[in-house]
Formats: sequence, structure tokens, C-alpha cells
Amino acid sequence: MTGELSIDGVFFPTLLALALAALILTYGLTRLIAAFGLYRFLAYRALVDLSLFVLTLGGLSILVPMLGIRL
Amino acid sequence: MNRLTGTLIRSAATIIIVILAVIVAVWMWNHYERSPWTRDGRVRADVVRVTPDIGGLVTSVAVRDNQQVKAGDLLFVIDTPRYALALEQAEAQIASAQATLGQARREATRDLALGDLVAKESHEQNVARVATAQAALAEARSARDAAALNLKRTQVRASVNGVVTNLDLHPGDYLAAGTQAMALIDSDSLRVEGYFEETKLPLVCIGAPVTVRLMGEKQDLHGKVESIAYGINDSTRSDSGNLLPTVEPTFSWVRLAQRIPVRVKLTNVPANITLISGRTATVTVEPAKKDAKPGSCRHA
Repeated sequence: MTGELSIDGVFFPTLLALALAALILTYGLTRLIAAFGLYRFLAYRALVDLSLFVLTLGGLSILVPMLGIRL
Repeated sequence: MNRLTGTLIRSAATIIIVILAVIVAVWMWNHYERSPWTRDGRVRADVVRVTPDIGGLVTSVAVRDNQQVKAGDLLFVIDTPRYALALEQAEAQIASAQATLGQARREATRDLALGDLVAKESHEQNVARVATAQAALAEARSARDAAALNLKRTQVRASVNGVVTNLDLHPGDYLAAGTQAMALIDSDSLRVEGYFEETKLPLVCIGAPVTVRLMGEKQDLHGKVESIAYGINDSTRSDSGNLLPTVEPTFSWVRLAQRIPVRVKLTNVPANITLISGRTATVTVEPAKKDAKPGSCRHA
């Protein structure tokens, strides 16, 4: 909760890094879903993509503290 | 029929995913924004403005910059010879007053022995002269004590345990009485103050355990909430010349929560961490229990 990343003396919240990671993960995930053609079973692709991003970020912010890195 | 089922499945799947995302978003918001922690914390300490109460030339400085001192240690000396001379002068004044008193007493006894040969007025004047001389002697004695006190005060000593910092005082400087000579940081008063948004204050309990992380340190420090500030400046209000308040006419769509200093007393600081007044700290308070009654604390 209080973790920060220091890049040469400039401190960023870890959540920002997680958000970037989640963005990349979500992109991969959407490619995967598209490749399997699963979007056929979903309405409003944009809304689903946004929700996926939030879910990925939430998942990361639960997983990362378990690895011992403070958020 | 088949097409209707397809639409239903698609809508249901989308709605479920969106609802899940909303739940996660709310959980994260609560986790990050509703827990009592702040990155806006500072290490602070009381600073003693060491000031001589007599003026004069600085003859010697006994400390170096950033030197650790104990309460009672000598910091610097102001012109001892001059104040020693003042003490001698005061002692001479006592001798003079004593001589005057002696003479007045002798005259009074002599005139008393002559009885009615001396005018009554002269007797009265004798008594008055003795009393005046006694008062002058008392005055001279207190002037001597004051001079002795001044002489003692030429040695300026540390009033607290601490560190002299940003020292800019050299032998040869002239200090007027009441001019600040150096800053002495009271090392016993070192603490962390977290500036918490007022919205988070209900979650902060006096006595709650606190985790402090200084910027750049790998180690956590631990402490307890000692107290919460009882007032901060109201920047939208000032007093006018006729003592009526000037209140700024503002109307803001977006309002910012005020930051309230919360004082944290650190318990057992590791030796390898130097607490420097002014360092940045991240302060995390263990929150009050959700079902705790207002005003009560589970940490108390």
C-alpha cells in the first residue's frame, strides 16, 4: 500500500507500474480472445475490454503483494 | 429462437464481466483511497534558537558544525573579560557604599552622644542618611549579583541534548543581546509528522500502531500515533485593520481536503537509520475498527 518505485530519485507509486503491466496484459488477452473467436459470445467489445483491464489490474494488485512486493 | 438465445447469452456474459469489474474497482478504490496512509510525511524536531541574553564579542566557539552536544555543554563564550571587569566595578561600588554607610553611622552615633546640643533636625537627617546609605549598599550588592550572573551567562550552554547544525558563528562575531546565534536540533524530540487528509482522520486513532518508511530507506520504522494537531491556519480568512474578518468569497466546484498533522512517536529506531529533520516519510496508520463507536479506539 505504501510502496514506491524509485527511478533515479523520482518516486512513482507501484500502482502506476501495475497499471502499465495490466495494460500490456489486457492487450495480449484481447488478442488471445480474438484469436479463439470468443468475442462472438460477447456484446459490446469495448466495454468488455475495459472491464478486462480493471479485472487484470485488480488481480495484479492482489498477486503482487503476495510475492512480497509492497504496493 | 436460436438467435434470441444467442443474444441473451452474449448480453448476460457481458453484464457479468462488467459487474465483476465494478466490484474489483470499488474494492481497489477502498483499498487505496480509504485507508489511513499518506506519502506526505516529514521527520521533524524541535529547534532551539540558541540566543545569548547579553551582548558582546564572541571570543570562542566550542562546537563544530553538526556536532552532537549534551544538555549543559559549552557552545560559545561571549567577551568574558569585559563582564569580569563589570563584576569588579560592581564590587568596588559595594566597597564605596560600605564606606559611605560607615561614615553615616559614625556621624549619627557622635551626634547622638552630644544629645540636645545638636538640633533635632540634624538627628533626623542622620537617621535618614544611614537609611539611604544602607539602601545604596543593598543596591550595590544586587548590582554585583547581576554582574556575576552576566559573567556566568557569557558562557552559553546547550539547553537540550541535540546537534548543532548550520553553524555560522565565529570568534570575532559581535552578538547583540537577544540575537539568535545558532540552531540546536533537539534530538530527544525527533518524531514523524504525517499530513493526513481530513477525510482520513476518522480512521486515525491516538495510540494506533504506525509504520513509517523513510524515502530511500529499505527498512520500516515503527511507532504510535501520539497526537493529532488541534488547529491549522485557515487560508481563506484574515483579519482586517479594524479587527473584522476578511473572508475570501470563493465558490469552488472542486474542494480539496485539508491536511492535518498527525504526530507519530517512533519506538526503537535502528541505529543505521539517521533521522534528519525534514526527511520525507510515508506514514501508514493501522486503521480503526469499522464497527468502533465514534471517539473510541480499539488501539487505546
